[in-house]
Amino acid sequence: MVRGELSQSLRRAIESLGNLPRPQCDRTIRYPRRRCQLSTIRCISTSAPRHAELVNDTPEKFTAAPPINFEQQDAKGGKGGGKQLLRTLRVVPASPSYFSAKPTFTDDFISLQALLRKVATLPVVPPSEAPKVAWKTIDQYRIMTNEPVKTQRFHKMIHILRRLNCIHPSLMPEEVLQAMQRYKKASQPGDIKPKPGIIDELGRAKGVGRRKTSSAVAWLVEGEGEVLINGKSLTQFFGRLHDRESVVWALKATQRLDKYNVWGLTAGGGVTGQAEALTLAVAKALLVHEPALKPALRRAGCITRDPRKVERKKPGHVKARKMPTWVKR
Amino acid sequence: MPPSQCFPGFALLALDRAAHHSIASRSLLALPHTPRFSTSAPRYGPPPRKGMVAPPKRGTKTLNVKKGKSSPSRDTTKRPAPGDRKALRKRIVLSNNNALEVPTLQDLHKDTVLSGENEGLVKGLPEDVVDALRAVEAFKPTQGWRLFRRPAILMRKETTLLAALFREVEGTANGQAKMTVRKVLIGERMSGKSTMLLQGLTMAFMRDWVVVNLPDAKDITIAHTEYAPLPGSQPTQYTQDIYTANLLSQIAKANQSILGNLPVTTNHSLPIPLPSKSTLKQLAELAITNPEASWPIFVALWKELTQPGRPPIMLAIDNLSHIMRNSEYLSADVKPIHAHDLALVRHFVDRLAGKTPLPNGGMILAATSGSNAPTSPALDFSIQVAEARQLNPESIPQWNPYKNVDQRVMECLKDVGVLKVAGLTKAEARSIMEYYAASGMLRAQVTEPFVTEKWSLAGMGNIGELERVSVRLRV
Repeated sequence: MVRGELSQSLRRAIESLGNLPRPQCDRTIRYPRRRCQLSTIRCISTSAPRHAELVNDTPEKFTAAPPINFEQQDAKGGKGGGKQLLRTLRVVPASPSYFSAKPTFTDDFISLQALLRKVATLPVVPPSEAPKVAWKTIDQYRIMTNEPVKTQRFHKMIHILRRLNCIHPSLMPEEVLQAMQRYKKASQPGDIKPKPGIIDELGRAKGVGRRKTSSAVAWLVEGEGEVLINGKSLTQFFGRLHDRESVVWALKATQRLDKYNVWGLTAGGGVTGQAEALTLAVAKALLVHEPALKPALRRAGCITRDPRKVERKKPGHVKARKMPTWVKR
Repeated sequence: MPPSQCFPGFALLALDRAAHHSIASRSLLALPHTPRFSTSAPRYGPPPRKGMVAPPKRGTKTLNVKKGKSSPSRDTTKRPAPGDRKALRKRIVLSNNNALEVPTLQDLHKDTVLSGENEGLVKGLPEDVVDALRAVEAFKPTQGWRLFRRPAILMRKETTLLAALFREVEGTANGQAKMTVRKVLIGERMSGKSTMLLQGLTMAFMRDWVVVNLPDAKDITIAHTEYAPLPGSQPTQYTQDIYTANLLSQIAKANQSILGNLPVTTNHSLPIPLPSKSTLKQLAELAITNPEASWPIFVALWKELTQPGRPPIMLAIDNLSHIMRNSEYLSADVKPIHAHDLALVRHFVDRLAGKTPLPNGGMILAATSGSNAPTSPALDFSIQVAEARQLNPESIPQWNPYKNVDQRVMECLKDVGVLKVAGLTKAEARSIMEYYAASGMLRAQVTEPFVTEKWSLAGMGNIGELERVSVRLRV
């Protein structure tokens, strides 16, 4: 619950003392307000709020409620005095889930359910065609709300969100988009788009690839299957047949070996690393010429960069994992 | 006295115990032998010798890692006799009974061997040529002859160029001076330079030339054969008698049909008597029994061959870079002998440099090697120059004046031509792969994509790699 909320409701309760015999929480007022404060951070913890890197919006400033002036209240309320007034005072939190362990989560969940009820009749697309969204993980959500949310409950909420995301994109209400924004990760898949490759005036397409500590650049032109790596022929540069096949694998797997010539430059690392860096470079250059080959190249394993590297040595170990030999005494 | 030495020995303790009978019966230290009064004797005695440790108890197993004769794990298999391994390594196998006979394979013929119509075809070598080539050691153990039923060669573009040179030499009119072609074969590793040399030798044999082949320059210069200074030479030259004798016997065997018909015409002052009316074959064979006279015999043979009216000569050497540097031999004052100071090498190099032309015409071929080539900067530079002279004569490289140069090598290769053995064309690659498939050594359908793939993987048609990719490394 927002820190200000309790103090505000306290103040409001005291103000309403004069008007009402018994103060009650006014649902019609509170609900919309809570909804518009959804994006603010709420903490019930007395410890300092964690400004986690995952929470990008700043919590609102804490403002304590002004002290209750009983004399004034007495004068307004008339007979009874301060004691009488205190007896009638009952502080009601803004959210009905304030006394549950996870008020923010409960509020979120209920509001999403209400939203889904509202838009349930809108046409949907199958989940595979819905726009790809990276939802916050449960850990990120826990840090954001600072509440011990259970995994199962969180998954139920994500389920609702997925259903909301399946609404036909052309009919997607603005309200739903706003609500989903809270649960999305900061960066979404497809946010970073690489610059499209170009074929220059000489008909060359460039591709860059890396593997282990090797890096490679390949220029692909239309031709009849000639390959030069660092100015040498394939056989002079790579002694192993396997490495030679790795270099031209992207072309071989797509039956384009006799249609292109390759100029490659490679540096760093070892022989196999250089060959496999060239695989990626040639594949990327081929994609510039023929973008439609991407699925075929992905099936051939030429798109994904192999992220494996040499594991670092650790203190106390002989190598990355190896422990020193056990010695008696 | 330091306290450590004051500490009473166990023997003394035991002595104390023995004094108190009540303790002695229970004491663990009660020793059966007589107590010693002094421990100094064992302390100052020599350390126990290595073998003197007590033997292990009967029945226990001990680790025995001894080497040598008494080792229990010694390999008792029979070792090959000295020289067997080398013989196995150097063995030339020219047929494979498991390979299929190729029905379409036709032999080369004397009349058509020099014509361009064979280009791009695989042709078989006739039996007598195979024998002659074997005699001059033109086949190399690293080449793939052992994979096929019988030796066959692909007539590639460079072969046609070489055949054209043969035609030029043979075609010179009677009145003109006969032509001598001097070429160095260059190219990548495994691109077929030695095989090109073999094709040149084949053509020479078939056209009835006299063939003198130095099978590997390495054998001449690595000091594995005996040498002696040539008397009366200034500066000193060195002859290699055993090697020359062997070379002469090879010449006699390989060219027996030609040399057997050529009589000795001039009088030679040989250290051994030569029977009158003998042939050149007999002259050459004289060296087999008299190796010490082999160099004068070689000179005499060469003099006979350069007489007018004799056939053209094919002089060939493989692995050129070994003779373009200092040899492994040492002179009398323990200085390295330059390879050009070896009489046999000098003989070859003079012809290669064009210093002594061949009066009856002929060809001097030298092949470089990609795999066993000691560095010879002058040779590399000369090849670059020769290439530049053929391709773009306006930009010929200059030798870096701040570097030492082997002037004799530069002088020798000043105006020699080069024949670059490049990769096969795709048509040639297809032709030879069809031959592989017909021999049953390549079990695949020879289609256009297949040929292109292997051609690319073989580094743009490098024939040795092509064979490796399609025949040897078959999955």
